[in-house]
Amino acid sequence: MENKVKAIIARVLNVDLEVITDGLCSGDIPEWDSVGNLAIISTLEQELEIEFPLEDLFDLTSVQSIVDEVNQLMHV
Amino acid sequence: MFDAPHSHVLSCIAGHARHNPDKVALVEGNQRITRGQLITNIEAAASYLTSIGIKPGERIVLSARKELEFVYLYFAAQLLGIVNVVVNPTSPSDRLDYILKITNPIAVIGLNHSAGSYRCIQFDDVKLNSSNRGESSCVWPKVSADDVADIMFTTGTTGAPKGVCLSHANLSGSASNINGFIGNNDEDIEALGLPLSHSFGLGRLRCVLMAGGTMVLVGNFANLKAFFTILEKEHVTGFGMVPAVWQYIKRLSGTRIAKFSNQLHYIEVGSAALPIEDKRLLMDLFPKTRLCIHYGLTEASRAVFSELHLNAENLESIGKPVSSHVEVCILDENGAPVPDGTDGELCICGNMVMKSYLLPDDNVEAFYDRWFRTGDWGHRDSAGYFYLTGRKKELINMGGEKVSPATIEDAILSLGIPDCACVAIPDPYGVLGEVPKAYLQRSSNTLSIEEIKQRLTQLLPTHEIPVQYEWVDSIPRSSSGKIQRLKLKN
Repeated sequence: MENKVKAIIARVLNVDLEVITDGLCSGDIPEWDSVGNLAIISTLEQELEIEFPLEDLFDLTSVQSIVDEVNQLMHV
Repeated sequence: MFDAPHSHVLSCIAGHARHNPDKVALVEGNQRITRGQLITNIEAAASYLTSIGIKPGERIVLSARKELEFVYLYFAAQLLGIVNVVVNPTSPSDRLDYILKITNPIAVIGLNHSAGSYRCIQFDDVKLNSSNRGESSCVWPKVSADDVADIMFTTGTTGAPKGVCLSHANLSGSASNINGFIGNNDEDIEALGLPLSHSFGLGRLRCVLMAGGTMVLVGNFANLKAFFTILEKEHVTGFGMVPAVWQYIKRLSGTRIAKFSNQLHYIEVGSAALPIEDKRLLMDLFPKTRLCIHYGLTEASRAVFSELHLNAENLESIGKPVSSHVEVCILDENGAPVPDGTDGELCICGNMVMKSYLLPDDNVEAFYDRWFRTGDWGHRDSAGYFYLTGRKKELINMGGEKVSPATIEDAILSLGIPDCACVAIPDPYGVLGEVPKAYLQRSSNTLSIEEIKQRLTQLLPTHEIPVQYEWVDSIPRSSSGKIQRLKLKN
């Protein structure tokens, strides 16, 4: 699942997969701006058929936190 | 220390440094740059540009990375009379190719793009070493206030970007207008989350430094947690945002930002329309903050302002001209003034209105005499307030980022769809303001909507891919072949 989430983030931001490291945070690269962040959230929700709780969105600030949240929502 | 009579912005920055060189002017991450260091680094960057042979009047393409080197090089070029062509670091390569072709720069700085005869320089290669520093004995070239300082690119209705030539006088006039309206002063500490490649963000940088305040460079608004931490840690007193960022802040953090209400003296909002309910919410959350909503274009920066608390009875209005140096009028299709209350085209003249577009063709219908034509429709009431009612230009305004429908249509047509048209529709998620919808002409083409969307991901940035699609028998066109988008919208 981790690789799939990273691949989706890379595709949405239109950057190479190597750029999407665990520690990369929103805002660290120009491509990951607020519009990019919303696109990541909505694409993950659509493609993985999940829904991020609103109260969690504020804390989804890094690749690792997004992967962890997806794993939790999908009970991986 | 330099003197720059051609640029009031640069003169003010130097004046503040003379007055109090140890006050912090810029913050980026853990780096704190004093006014004195800012001047020293601008002079070092100017010496570097001179040392590599760039002459006044020549052009450099500068990638607007949110880094200190960008700030030094940007002001150094202005000090020397070198023209800055400021571009988005994430510009698609075809847009960049076009900009390079029509600007013919001597050097490209901060981009991995080496396809021309220009010199390609990375920020890391820019030498601001001790031998370049403190060259206060340098004789800086004579530059006129009317010389072009910056060329900024906006989206044209045909899809090709338009180069907007702004003089030193334009930039200084704009910064003076804005600072006068907002009330910026040397006690301000601003967090800059806006991109520096846009007129709004770059303008904020000039305004704060010109006022003697402190600018904190923030990557962008994506990481709100980090942004809020900076507001707290740096005791930020103001920031600028586009309406899409406000929607983003609301969606991801609710009303948590209100805890900064007492420390924020001003918030500037602009580049797209802010819904009335959001104006009311901002007024509730920030009862003591100056909420300054601007209307303007790169060509005529922040021509009109409204401070919400002072105009609480007039929230539908975009406000009044920003200063006595700016005039706004409503003209009909022949360029004649219309009576108050009658819709026409908003036209602007003033100290910040661009000299011209870069390409002569773009100038053909840009002005009625001295009046710049905005392409926006609206009226003025008897009290002098202006109202927007529509847009003549057909650009889609996605969170302040203007996109030409022609760009999206070209991508769709390249998939073998015989004809198509894109129009702006309200963002169903209520974040971006407008998003594109595509009308596609039915044909024997067997591509499904899903396949079209998928293929467009290879051709367009994610945010430019239409969110809605509709098959139609034909695309309405005028006798001259122009798409009649209003018919589709209706």
